[in-house]
Amino acid sequence: MALPVLICDDSSFARKQMKRALPEGWDIDLTFAGNGLEGLEAIRQGKGEVVFLDLTMPEMDGYGVLEAIRKEDLPAMVIVVSGDIQPDAQERVKKLGAMAFIKKPIDVKKATQILTEFGILSEV
Amino acid sequence: MTKPGAEFGEMHWLMDVLQSIDVGLVILDRDYKIQLWNSFMENHSGLCPDDVHDKPLFESFTDIPETWFRQKAEPVFELKTRTFTIWEQRPYLFKFKNSRPITGRSSTMYQNSSIMPLESIDGTVNHICLIIYDVTDIAVNQKDLTNANGHLAYLSQIDNLTELLNREFWEKEFKREHKRCIRTSTPCSLVMFDIDNFKTINNNHGHQAGDEVIRTLASMVRQTARETDICGRYGGEEFSILLVDTDATAATNFTERLRKKVAGLVVNIEEHEIQFTISAGIAEYSKKFEKPSLWLEAAEKALTHAKNNGRNKTTVYQSKE
Amino acid sequence: MGAYAMTMSLTEDQRDCYQEITNVAMGQAADRLARLLNVYVILPIPKVNMISASELHMALAGTTVSDNVSAVCQGFIGSGIAGEALLVFNDASFSDLAQLMNYKGPLDRHGELELLMDVSSVLIGACIHGLGEQIEVSFNQGHPVVLGQHCHVDDLVKSGNHQWSQTLAIEIHYEIEDVNISCDLLLLFTEDSVAKINQQVDYLLD
Repeated sequence: MALPVLICDDSSFARKQMKRALPEGWDIDLTFAGNGLEGLEAIRQGKGEVVFLDLTMPEMDGYGVLEAIRKEDLPAMVIVVSGDIQPDAQERVKKLGAMAFIKKPIDVKKATQILTEFGILSEV
Repeated sequence: MTKPGAEFGEMHWLMDVLQSIDVGLVILDRDYKIQLWNSFMENHSGLCPDDVHDKPLFESFTDIPETWFRQKAEPVFELKTRTFTIWEQRPYLFKFKNSRPITGRSSTMYQNSSIMPLESIDGTVNHICLIIYDVTDIAVNQKDLTNANGHLAYLSQIDNLTELLNREFWEKEFKREHKRCIRTSTPCSLVMFDIDNFKTINNNHGHQAGDEVIRTLASMVRQTARETDICGRYGGEEFSILLVDTDATAATNFTERLRKKVAGLVVNIEEHEIQFTISAGIAEYSKKFEKPSLWLEAAEKALTHAKNNGRNKTTVYQSKE
Repeated sequence: MGAYAMTMSLTEDQRDCYQEITNVAMGQAADRLARLLNVYVILPIPKVNMISASELHMALAGTTVSDNVSAVCQGFIGSGIAGEALLVFNDASFSDLAQLMNYKGPLDRHGELELLMDVSSVLIGACIHGLGEQIEVSFNQGHPVVLGQHCHVDDLVKSGNHQWSQTLAIEIHYEIEDVNISCDLLLLFTEDSVAKINQQVDYLLD
């Protein structure tokens, strides 16, 4: 069964970049969300077992999404993808339960490396 | 670039250019020891590369404040970012004497500088490049301009003949002082005075003599007034003085002193000996002067009273209440 | 004029792309500042617009809340793309900034100039570099120029003598968490650069 993966970013350009950085041939069911609220709704519907989440977004930002996931105990593995690369930002999202942090601009190898590291890609 | 021989030739040219370019180039290592020193630096400092090579910058140039310079340079090493200093911050980094006896108008060279990271192959920054620009011309011109603007601003405030404030500027100051009076409780008095029968002086001795009388009176005003008093030429032969921190009694003392000095004065112009007097009206600030114009009217009224009562007199405005 | 204005407008995709690459660039700049001052910098979404010369004043006035500001301007150029970065500092920021920078001297005009230069070097440099990296242009920075200290934002830029009609403007607001420090960075490209930089962005969008 295809893995439900969600890319949540307010920029369509960033969503495309992220999609490009996903490993080739990975069997997934991909959903896009344009802000935090949309993203959270998709996760609630089970469309985001793996979530690539931006931080700076209108409506609800990435921190808000992480808090809601934790509060509602939703089954999502979140990888934060952000241009906010301050040490503090990375620390904050890890504390809020994010699994990993990818810096923008995205290094194409980075997503594959993290997914492998956490055993998500083992069956490819 | 393709042939190895040509490549070497290009390197050689580049080195020549770097040496002779009219910009200072210095490369420093992580301990701030000088690694490269181009001819610009050599020519202006009188120190050749061998004199300074591998020497700590702060030892060879004690003029450079170490803490300050490190604050600019450390981010270049640590954050790999370029930093800049401009002459407005510090006129120069290296104290170089003026090298141009004809066109140079400053004793030292004004400098802008740029500090640039030099990355090693492994991506770390172990060296920085210091680029020194001679901006003496710009700095000197900028200073001239600032002075000129300052002088223009001064000229626009001053009356030509008397060198007291002109009416426009005096009124500006008067309005400001009025506002201050509303806020505070310290007394302030306005004195308006003019030369008695000034027309007769002009008619009998000519306008140049009239001007000389006005000029003499103005210089007497300057000698009598304190630095904080605001003295202006209000009209032709009419003057206005704001005496800050001064009540009506003290203002009367001041005005009487001036009036008596003037009355005892003889102005010699060519063959003429001119004597003249002044009449003055004083109004101390009171709360009912809600607008500056009301205060001014009060002083004018007192002045008219002095004129109508025989001239060469001082009248203090009395409130009717 | 109508046709001209059409060619000078941005498509939604272009605007989105500018916003995203600016976001990344300002994030890099914020990271430098955060490391320099040991603070957390709050990053809002940048504004990207085509503005006309008459709107420049509005863009500037819209940036700050306070009356008194100090500003530094720095030119940049690379691969046919040129522009200026203008950093406008709220004068109320200096006392907190001096503390964070460990500035020991008196906080007079000169002291403030030092702080202004230090912060602008880091912020402008990193932002321009970050932008350039993403659109594959290596920007060279000119020397910074102080436009004014303790002046009104309206007086920073002389109006009416601009040699361009419409150009690309990027506005970034920086604020530092828990202290009273805020500044605005305005990136303005020359009119001639717009076509060239749009081309670089379209290449990214492809």
